[in-house]
Amino acid sequence: MQRYALNILFPVAAVVLVVLAQVGWLDRYVLTVVTFIGINCIFAVSLNVVNGYMGEFSCGHGGFMCVGAYAGSLLSVAFFTDSRLFGASLFPPESAPFLFPLVLVGASLAAALFGLIVALPSFNTRDDYLAIITIAANYIIISVVENIDAIGGPRGFSGMKRAVNAMSDVAELPWMLIWTIVGLFVCVATIRRLMTSTYGKGISAVSQNEVAAEMMGINTNRVKIMAFMVSSGLAGLSGALYAHVYGYVNAQSFNILRSTEGLVMVYLGGMGSTSGVLMAAVAFTLLVELLRFVIPWLNDLLHAASLLPASYELSQIWKWVFIPLLLILLMQFRPEGLLGNRELTQVFPRLKRWITFR
Amino acid sequence: MTPLLEIDDLTQRFGGLQALSNFSFFMEDRELVGLIGPNGAGKTTVFNVVSGFYDPTEGDIRFGGKRINGMKPHQVTALGMARTFQNIRLWNDMSVLDNIRLARYAWLGYGFLGATLRTKRYRQAEKAIEKKAREVLEIMDLTDAAEELPKNLPYGLQRRIELARALAGNPRLLLLDEPAAGLNSADVEGLIRQIRWVYDEFKISIWMIEHQMKVVMSLCQRLTVVDFGRVIAEGTPEEIRNNPAVIKAYLGDDTL
Repeated sequence: MQRYALNILFPVAAVVLVVLAQVGWLDRYVLTVVTFIGINCIFAVSLNVVNGYMGEFSCGHGGFMCVGAYAGSLLSVAFFTDSRLFGASLFPPESAPFLFPLVLVGASLAAALFGLIVALPSFNTRDDYLAIITIAANYIIISVVENIDAIGGPRGFSGMKRAVNAMSDVAELPWMLIWTIVGLFVCVATIRRLMTSTYGKGISAVSQNEVAAEMMGINTNRVKIMAFMVSSGLAGLSGALYAHVYGYVNAQSFNILRSTEGLVMVYLGGMGSTSGVLMAAVAFTLLVELLRFVIPWLNDLLHAASLLPASYELSQIWKWVFIPLLLILLMQFRPEGLLGNRELTQVFPRLKRWITFR
Repeated sequence: MTPLLEIDDLTQRFGGLQALSNFSFFMEDRELVGLIGPNGAGKTTVFNVVSGFYDPTEGDIRFGGKRINGMKPHQVTALGMARTFQNIRLWNDMSVLDNIRLARYAWLGYGFLGATLRTKRYRQAEKAIEKKAREVLEIMDLTDAAEELPKNLPYGLQRRIELARALAGNPRLLLLDEPAAGLNSADVEGLIRQIRWVYDEFKISIWMIEHQMKVVMSLCQRLTVVDFGRVIAEGTPEEIRNNPAVIKAYLGDDTL
């Protein structure tokens, strides 16, 4: 029974959310925030495969999200819309609600392929050096995308809104919320199943003692390729969803700042704990949204108290002071994160009566 | 009959350091032999080359008639060779049961899709792995520790878990790197009994590195002595005990 608790709870919550959105109880803003929570959850949980379970330090996760975002956008524009880039749509627009999963799968596969960029050097490199390589990979991906003029270059790429509208023309539903929920479910199920199988535990073996792993018959290079590809592929999924929620992508939205957000969520939740990272992703997204209101409020307050010169306005850029500050405080006071390598059920054993993660 | 393990003129250089020079060795199936020598003689290097951790600079290694130099450790393991380590190398943050389970990794029989889609093959494979792991735990008297983390267990038990993990791969040849390191004399007695029991019970061949003479003298049928990366003597424990070259290597030249 407990084994299925998550599998039951999740669809129920999903249906409730969609129904609420459908009857108009959630306004557009709340809907967008909820969707972004889902996307951030996928992004953070996927990063956790490498940074948590495998114990490597990947700092360029945004790059894979970028690949997924662009690949997904190009696919859906080519599939469902008439565009200058691809000409007439490949499939009738009415097929969009049914064929959209193909877009998501395609985007994930494309991003997974790019995961090899980091997986191959990881054979001989570890720790700090690998971290530097991942940052470099992040920059490479962004520069390449920015320099391909056919897909908009630095101006970005749009047209996905029409694909989303094509879905809404078939049935008036909060489509992107639905796809995000489905994506999150697939993502968490994949990682949960992987990490409970002997095959996936090879990742933990590599993390805990790589020499022993190699000596006991584990092909460590293949394990690393697998972990990096799963991780980057799921990041690609989050990217494709992101692109369709916004209807517009720009390579710079996936730069090192995005990767940092991922790191904050993973380290906030506790490395190697999927449930912890999920909670952290929810809390973090809400916190960032909260800053949107807190910063202007703080601005008014400081101006009223004459602590700021009248010519200076506290802008949203300050978000990038608060988020890294959170990371510093976290590393200083609770480096193991909220749950620290343990699942929710291990921290609160009583929960086992209701739910299991393993 | 082809010998189980044949090493011909193995030379291993690390930069300017010659760790092994023209090391030759062979062992038949079902032998229990020892490799001894003073500290830094190159014993562990031999094991590391044989198990694929280092690529030999020169020389040939054949395991069951198959040339294995240049193979990766996981490929050598899959051929039926397992080992333990001088300093224990367990996966400390997963249960003892998982440690044993992972020793079956080379024979999983399913991959990423199997694991995530939970195919029939996956379920059968996991069931077989679980059964095998439980069996090994039972045989090695570790059932009570199955759910514990190795890092929380006493040293002697950790050694036994490492041995169990090596045996879970059904090896033909077991390499033991100083199994008695860090054990007190009472434990050493137990270890000797245990190794002999494993040798009889699992019908395997064992090649062991050991410092404690008591262990090798009472267990091994044959000994190889290395010093400065060369074989300086070979023979039965009795012969080795009285070999002047060996005494010199261990105690130094008496013409000081």
